[in-house]
Amino acid sequence: MEIDLLNVIMLVLVAVVLITFLPHTHFKTVFTLVLLGIVGYFLLITVAEMPPFGDIANPPNNELAARYIEQGIADTGVPNLVTGILNDYRAMDTLGEATVIFLAIAAAIATIKAH
Amino acid sequence: MEDQIVRIVCRLVVPFIQVYGIYVILYGHISPGGGFAGGAIIGSSMVLYALSFNLEEGSKKIPSDAAKRMESGGALTFALVGIVAIILGHEYLTNLAAGFPRGSFGQLISGGVIPIISIAIGVKITSTIVTLFYHLIGGEKLEDGNA
Repeated sequence: MEIDLLNVIMLVLVAVVLITFLPHTHFKTVFTLVLLGIVGYFLLITVAEMPPFGDIANPPNNELAARYIEQGIADTGVPNLVTGILNDYRAMDTLGEATVIFLAIAAAIATIKAH
Repeated sequence: MEDQIVRIVCRLVVPFIQVYGIYVILYGHISPGGGFAGGAIIGSSMVLYALSFNLEEGSKKIPSDAAKRMESGGALTFALVGIVAIILGHEYLTNLAAGFPRGSFGQLISGGVIPIISIAIGVKITSTIVTLFYHLIGGEKLEDGNA
């Protein structure tokens, strides 16, 4: 059974929209619980389909990790591979992280100042 | 709260925490650490100072304007370092391939732009933590005081 994470997210969104527009009755409570049960069932199916922990055939154990470990020092010139990946190989990602933090602090200050 | 013991201990401890934070940032490419971790340590030392004294004393150490400049300056340095690589004729944020000096392996100045990026991130995260703490604790009072 192929359950994509996107399908589960869409299901959750539909459930949230449905629940939001229902009036406050016992039916709403039962309906919410049933929907939560269905969503939980699909999430558990997704968990059951995940690859086993530590398996050599898992998707993250590809040639990329071997390349980083073997060529990392020659490529980046630093002994700390984590910093080498963060600030050299994946510098664009780190810039994105910094931007996210910048936006978060800007939004927080704007919200606090507005009140 | 006026607690002499807390204040004296804090005054003794804060410089050591900050030196450790600077060490974590500067040696981030040699030993475990980096800009995010070191910036968080320095920011936490300022939070400790503001907690043991009070908000006015704390916000005098890093004023709101200085924090804004640190925040923007760190992000801009990071972005401009990437643009230097474009000017040298390579892709954005290229490091050693763009001709930045490799330095001697394992020394403080080595690895091209990696230490510069670490320092920029460290300054930025310090300012982030300090600003967020001061604003969340002080709220409108701090803003009125500075305006």
